Amino acid sequence: MLDSTTIASKMAQLRGLFVLSLSLLLSACGANQVVVQSQFPKPVLDPLPVKVGVFLSEEFKTHTFVDDPAERTERSWVVETGAAQVTLWQSILTHLFEQVVYLDALPENLDEEEDVGSTESSAELPRIDAILIPTIADLQYAIPAQTNSKVYEIWLKYDVTLNNPDMSPISEWSMTAYGKTPEAFMLGAQEAVEAAAVVALRDAGANFAVNFPKVPAVQTWLQKNRIDAEPVSSGGKP
Amino acid sequence: MKLTMNLIRNCITFAGALALQGCVTAKIDEMTYNRPEAGVGASSVVLLGRRHASDYDTEKDFVQCVRQHIQRRDETIAIIQEEAFLDQLYPWFEPRTAPMHPSAIKELLGQPAVANKLQELDTQYMIWIDGNTERVDAAGSMTCGVGPTGAGCFGFGTWSDASNYEAVIWDFSNLAEVGRINTSTSGQSYMPAVVIPIPIIAPVQGTACEGIGEQLLQFLSASY
Repeated sequence: MLDSTTIASKMAQLRGLFVLSLSLLLSACGANQVVVQSQFPKPVLDPLPVKVGVFLSEEFKTHTFVDDPAERTERSWVVETGAAQVTLWQSILTHLFEQVVYLDALPENLDEEEDVGSTESSAELPRIDAILIPTIADLQYAIPAQTNSKVYEIWLKYDVTLNNPDMSPISEWSMTAYGKTPEAFMLGAQEAVEAAAVVALRDAGANFAVNFPKVPAVQTWLQKNRIDAEPVSSGGKP
Repeated sequence: MKLTMNLIRNCITFAGALALQGCVTAKIDEMTYNRPEAGVGASSVVLLGRRHASDYDTEKDFVQCVRQHIQRRDETIAIIQEEAFLDQLYPWFEPRTAPMHPSAIKELLGQPAVANKLQELDTQYMIWIDGNTERVDAAGSMTCGVGPTGAGCFGFGTWSDASNYEAVIWDFSNLAEVGRINTSTSGQSYMPAVVIPIPIIAPVQGTACEGIGEQLLQFLSASY
């Protein structure tokens, strides 16, 4: 015969077991959530003598990759790279160009915006030599469970547009980046995907910094827009 | 209970005593010239792993092992840590952008920011290590179980690993290659298990690390 104290104790144990089982079950059903956060090294670059406006869209700043599983037994993946993208690109661009102005909206949209906050309005828009718009076109990943390889991999594809201040095109090109982390790294799947994403982002920065001045149309534009040939102060921001 | 604990302790001690090393075959080829007779002095050396191949990466821990081997034997040799060097010269030594030939260093030095940074680091030799260790064969099977009276394994496993590494030495003072060291090692590891698995590991990568490390030490150090 069990007394009430023993019954209460047993009930508490059962409740604990139930909560534990439920949390295990829920954790098994949830998505693999990866938030890529990293500091990137200061690039060693000789700044190009131009003043560039840079537009990073909200989609870019909050970029999140979501991959739903093909089968019910698999877990979905959510990889948030937006914050790391902004950190990387700002670091690269600040050192690649002599002057950088971050635009909250593109010139064609500025007049339509009533309240643009910190946006450089058309009246306040400083004189710039070009507007650079990087966009993330694609992100793909591979994990050992999918490929039978021994590495975690991330591919990134960017579309980069360089326009004149009046938004007429100078050049447009695509750029890829790749990062991998060996399985032997002894990380969990989420940490390994994050590490691979950081490697891919470093690669993206390296690819852009090294190859930007080599794009033929950019070379021509750079020759025409040297700051020393046409000082910014001549028609710059009041 | 005490008897069981003693038994387990004795078994672990026995297994530890039996943790033998497997045999490794190693081959080292060396070709170096313009060796610094007085050593590298106050200048620094950097050891970097090649990671541009699609199917393998030179392991970071191998590069670290070689660096530690050299510095353990001659503390006077200043070797910049790989990650610190890559960060300080980002983005010029990433897998995509790293120079593949000494002549490419000339181009890099044409950029004032890079030239200043390299001058600041006072790098005399840049040593690129390219290669990896891979499992070439594995056989056998092992079964482990846990019961109310204890746990144990039974079976036999064996595998063989092979390493292939090449270290290429670039001299910064005359922007030329001054040496190449190749090492190939292979070895068979075994793991018999009767209740307790007894690993008999062939230190394939470790032997390759010591081989390359020793040859680099002889090149860089005035004491060897």
